[in-house]
Amino acid sequence: MAEFSWEIRSPLHRALVSGPFGAHGEGGVTLTEIRNFDLVQVMARRGKAAEMASAANAHFGVAVPETPKTAGAAEATLIWSGPDQFFVLSKGGRHQVGSLAPGFAASASLSDQSHARVLIRICGDKARALLAKLSSIDLYPAAFPVGTAAATSMDHTSVTLWRGNDARDGQAVFNVLVFATFAESLWHTMLDSGAEYGVEIGHSEDLA
Amino acid sequence: MRITCPFCGERELGEFTYLGDAKPMRPAPGASEDEVYDYVYLRDNIAGVMDENWYHGGGCRAWLKVTRNTLTHEISAVEPAAGAGARQVAK
Ligand SMILES: [Zn+2]
Repeated sequence: MAEFSWEIRSPLHRALVSGPFGAHGEGGVTLTEIRNFDLVQVMARRGKAAEMASAANAHFGVAVPETPKTAGAAEATLIWSGPDQFFVLSKGGRHQVGSLAPGFAASASLSDQSHARVLIRICGDKARALLAKLSSIDLYPAAFPVGTAAATSMDHTSVTLWRGNDARDGQAVFNVLVFATFAESLWHTMLDSGAEYGVEIGHSEDLA
Repeated sequence: MRITCPFCGERELGEFTYLGDAKPMRPAPGASEDEVYDYVYLRDNIAGVMDENWYHGGGCRAWLKVTRNTLTHEISAVEPAAGAGARQVAK
């Protein structure tokens, strides 16, 4: 039998070139791919949404988002992804299907999406200007405060968008989860949209 | 045109797919050939207010029942389609 060596690579490993891109000077936008996260989708079985919500509360100690919002739990973020369903985003193997499954056995179906999505973080002075070219969601601070989420489309591609905690310098931080096979296309579209502002490109393993 | 998804809020038309008249109901298993033919093929061409199925595929992936005036595109109601199974709607 042939020997295989499986090397985990980001779907953006070719497209992402760290460093400055576009207009010179101060980067107006920072685009960071977040790598090596754990992502589990939890979907209530028919008629079991209330049981799923109590199971989530018991496991995470916070109320599961039932509207397009996020909820911060210990070492995990719960992100609304549609009616009666949410994502569990974490890292370091703390909240994977194996450890979540027993608590949700009676109420929800779990599916591991860790390698099925790419997570892109957008921040900087021109983050909203870049996103406004791709999204019809109103990202004005009062309309889309910290902790707001949306299941929406960017450039005809389904994404999960949410606003994380502000960066240390007070800048808004937007996160986009996109299907792995669409990530390269959306990435290039984001670069094209951000080129006029100057983009600082990088990758990180830091979820915070 | 925009549709206010009961789960997501107001969204552009591009996030939705039209799935036709919401009125036809699948006939019982023992229904006559005429009833099945009617269900599968025959549709009223309504000039005015009708209930339609829409799919929020570019968003929350819920099926919706939209009440729309086909003459003016005015939408008077949007609700989860029967069996969508959601416990709580937005807002
Ligand atoms: Zn929706």
